[in-house]
Amino acid sequence: MEIQGYQIPDDLMYTEEHEWAKQEGKTIRIGITDYAAKTLNDVVYVSAPKVSVTVEQSKPMGTVESIKAVSEVYAPLSGRVVETNGALDFHPELINKSPYVEGWLIVVEPLNLSTERKSLLDAKAYTAYLETLLQK
Amino acid sequence: MLKTTQLFGYHSTHAKLTEFAGYEMPLWYTTTMAEHMAVRNASGVFDVSHMGRFGVEGPNATDFLESLVPTAVKTQPPGKVFYTLLLNSNGGIIDDVIIEKLREDAYMVVVNAANTKADMDHMLAHSPEGLSVDDRTASTAMIAVQGPGAITSLQSLTDLDLGQLKRFRCAEARVAGGNALISRTGYTGEDGFEVTVYDATNEHPGGAVNVWEKLAETSTPCGLGARDSLRLEAGFPLHGADIDQTTNPFEADLAWVVAAGKRDFVGSDAMEALAAQPPSRIRRGLVLDSGIPRHGFEVIGDAGPIGVVTSGTFSPILRKGIALCYLAYSSSEPGSRVGVTIRGDNQPGAVTRPPFYEERSYGWKRQKGN
Repeated sequence: MEIQGYQIPDDLMYTEEHEWAKQEGKTIRIGITDYAAKTLNDVVYVSAPKVSVTVEQSKPMGTVESIKAVSEVYAPLSGRVVETNGALDFHPELINKSPYVEGWLIVVEPLNLSTERKSLLDAKAYTAYLETLLQK
Repeated sequence: MLKTTQLFGYHSTHAKLTEFAGYEMPLWYTTTMAEHMAVRNASGVFDVSHMGRFGVEGPNATDFLESLVPTAVKTQPPGKVFYTLLLNSNGGIIDDVIIEKLREDAYMVVVNAANTKADMDHMLAHSPEGLSVDDRTASTAMIAVQGPGAITSLQSLTDLDLGQLKRFRCAEARVAGGNALISRTGYTGEDGFEVTVYDATNEHPGGAVNVWEKLAETSTPCGLGARDSLRLEAGFPLHGADIDQTTNPFEADLAWVVAAGKRDFVGSDAMEALAAQPPSRIRRGLVLDSGIPRHGFEVIGDAGPIGVVTSGTFSPILRKGIALCYLAYSSSEPGSRVGVTIRGDNQPGAVTRPPFYEERSYGWKRQKGN
């Protein structure tokens, strides 16, 4: 889906803090949405949890920074980190160029997926939520 | 209700907008990164019409300013532009300003937007009979064109030979068919010009829109995001963040602004007392190995806290986090290794004296051909 130029892939789960989560078999890939990236404008620095760290749903798990601003990233789901995106150390701008593919932040093994996923939004619900934000 | 400048029509259709000092201003047009690099490598154009502009006129204008600021005024020739400070009686910095000397009896004082009222009150409180201090912020526009390509960009709009206008000099000229004052100054560290377009109000912007649109054909429009990252990379303090009424010129590393031996200006007793001993703290730069320092972060030395960050950003030239900070004078030696506490982690870095870039490669002193 798309709203006012912001891309919202149909097959992802979303939070109201503008993170996305993608189920890939037994693991979950996590990143920030096109809207979050464009609002930051130019991502220049990323701080994400390291492998084997446990993140907790809705708790801060890192930061994404532009020249001007710092944005907290909240874990969309609880899980243990099994992979991090080393490319972002040298090319944080991948978050702007490709927020859903090359600009991913971490991959986790979820700890409580079946319960926690109920609090996430699907693409349609996130699009509706963005629409209300953009009207303000 | 936010105020707007004469160029708001352009900004509202081309930029992401932000509130600054009561004005609705452009934050960026494309990205802060691209706009920043355009200024370092080519040229950028900024709407700075929100800055306060005061005309100071009268037979006693030179005497008045001489009694107001710590810089020598009488000895400046007409056409000279100088950076100086408005001080309170304790030596605290009310504002940092640019003064353009048009004639012995006519000056333009350019001040920070957020301080326009405080500065006007301060000037009126000290102004003598027969002097006129006139707020021209709403009746003029101000457009800065900055970068190594600025001279080429602006030259096509004016008959004034810009190559003959030295840095920190100004001259009245026709620009794109209207009357203007051109000053070879700026807030980016680069060569460039600040153009005050006369006879431009929001209702009748006159030539201001024309000057802007012509410059935007050859220079990249830049918002306040790039304006802040460029001034920080050049090491220029921002009033309200890095300097204010609780900081004095010596600790702000602006001692050069205070003319040696000058007496009888507002704050001169305080300057004399402060000059007699080293300051307890001093403004310095920091370059971090990793992470981005921000306003309010603590600076840590070998034995504990030694200071605080007053403004920080990511330097597009260094590709590292940089900051302006105040450090205990005893811990302020350039090259010293220190840390900044960022969300609980100690991020190591080094003390510097800005600018942060290599002056042979960037800034107005750069060697041609780079």
